[in-house]
Order: sequence, then C-alpha cells, then structure tokens
Amino acid sequence: MPKARRDTYNDILGHLRTRDDAEPSLGDVVALAQIAAESMQRFIESMDAAVNSELRDIADYIVTMKQEIGVFQANDIKDSRIPAAGQELDAVVRSTEEATNSIMECAEEILAADTSDPQAYQALVTDKVMQIFEACSFQDLTGQRVSKVVETLQTIEKRVARLVDAINAKDVEGVLTRADAERVRRKEELMLNGPQLQGGGNDQMSVDALFSKPVPDAS
Amino acid sequence: MAVDSSMSVLVVDDYKTMIRIIRNLLKQIGFEDVDEAADGSEALGKMREKRYGLVISDWNMEPMTGYELLKEVRGDERLQKTPFIMVTAESKTENVIAAKKAGVNNYIVKPFNAQTLKSKIDAVFGD
Repeated sequence: MPKARRDTYNDILGHLRTRDDAEPSLGDVVALAQIAAESMQRFIESMDAAVNSELRDIADYIVTMKQEIGVFQANDIKDSRIPAAGQELDAVVRSTEEATNSIMECAEEILAADTSDPQAYQALVTDKVMQIFEACSFQDLTGQRVSKVVETLQTIEKRVARLVDAINAKDVEGVLTRADAERVRRKEELMLNGPQLQGGGNDQMSVDALFSKPVPDAS
Repeated sequence: MAVDSSMSVLVVDDYKTMIRIIRNLLKQIGFEDVDEAADGSEALGKMREKRYGLVISDWNMEPMTGYELLKEVRGDERLQKTPFIMVTAESKTENVIAAKKAGVNNYIVKPFNAQTLKSKIDAVFGD
C-alpha cells in the first residue's frame, strides 16, 4: 500500500480511537472528511513529484533524441548523399560497359581482319591496340567514383552508429513488407548469393574438386 | 560423344556483354550457331522450338533463374538430355552442390577464360 494512503487510514483510525460514543456527529464527519482531504493532498503531492520526475526524464530523452537526429542529418543523407552515390554507381556501370564494348569491338575487328596484307594488318592491329589502351583509362575514373561512394557509406555508417548508441536502438522483427519478405525468401530458396569476396566462395579449382565428388545425400 | 561444332548452342545471360564474350569464345572454339536468351523463361521457349546441342547458362537472372531453367529442362522428357553448363558468379558450395543435384553437366565460375570454357565443353562431351 502506498505510504500516502496508509497515512490517511492511520489518521482516520487515530481520530476514531479518541472517541468512545457510538453515534458520529456532523463534526466527526467533517473532521474525517478534513483528514481524508489532507491525506489525499499529501498522496497527490507525492504522485505529482514522481510523475514530474518521469516527465522530466522523458523530456530530457526527447531533447537528446532530437539533438541526435539533428546530428544524423537524415535530410542530407536522403536528399544529397544517397542520390549522389547512386549517380556515381550508375556512371561506373555506364563507363565500364562502354569501355568493355570498345575493347570487345577492337578485339573482334582484329580477329576478323584480313591478314593477307601484313603491313595493313599491322597498322590495323596497332590502331586497335591503342584504342584498347585508351578504353582502359576508364579504370582510373571508376576508381575515383567508387572511392566517393565508399566515403559516403562510411559517413552514413558513422552517423547510424552514433544514433544507435545515443538512443539505445533495438531492432524490431517483422518490419519487412510482403514484397521484401518475398524477395528474401526467393533469394534464399534459389541461392542467389551473388559474387563473393575473395576467400568467400570457391575458385574454379575448388568447384572442380566439388564436382568430382559424389552428390551428398539429400537426407 | 565427341564435340560437334556444328551443333546449336544456346547462351543464357541477362548481361549482353557476357553473351558477347561467350559468343566470341565459342566462335574461336569453332561454334558458329549460337543463339541467346536473356533469362530462363526465354531460354525454355527457345528450347521448345529448336533442338540445342548445348546450353550455357548464367544462374542469377530474372524472372527465371538458370537454376530454375536447369530443373525445368531436367524435368521435361523432351529436353532432359540436353547438356547444360552453368557459367556463374555464384561460387558458394551450396550452389555447386545444388546444381549438381539438379543435373548440371559442368560448372564454371566467373570470371573465366577461354581455356576453361573449352575444357568444360570437352569434358561434357567426353573428349
């Protein structure tokens, strides 16, 4: 029983013990009401203090969260950094594709070239090889673009880590949309793992070794 | 069964450049009749219209993956004997074992070279 309410009962009990007649007078009722009201006042005051303290804590937490969300700079990430990183990656895909096509066109022209005239053939090969060298310059640009994307990811990683620490974030399960869940299920079922980092998958020699063994029993 | 370079080959990949690379490599090995498909369902349609002596397929494609194509082919009485080589960046052990269980004839990990492609084709045809 809370202390304030216990005090109320004690006050009323004390008052009744001072009386020895059976019939309560109007004065007794008023006195009892006064005791009850004073006791309730103390109870409400103690509740107020506890609630005030809780509300102050919540307010402090909200202020801290607002500050941390401000530091997180979500709009900067959403409006600037992620779109810029996406554009850089698109440019990487485009330039590698263009370079690959240029190199393959040169190689195909060399393979299909007429070799009956050695001088003309040599001139063509030299010209195509120079074009291949030029096309390879894409690597420098894509390297710089990828570095920018990596820098963006590192910035976001730092900000997310700070926010997670500040608000003591806990992951909630079951937040995937139905489409996301279906995508995850399909990836797992069809083993769509994608290219592995070095050491993460099998090289051709290991694949050949796996292939030469009997198929493991499904059970 | 020796390699017959006059046979039709179906190359299945959603990446045009990879199809071009494989087509060029096949040409160097001597295969001239090379068709292409961008995913498993397109490949299956072509296989039901034309007899292919060899299918070379990527794994990771949409909407039908190479793994699903392999299972469809092995489950189709008319197509099930078609030699099938998986050429893919999927290099995890579970992928290799699953493909082998599904009946793939050989498995090449990307990136690969001409010699690997040739040796796996030779191995499939027992040369």
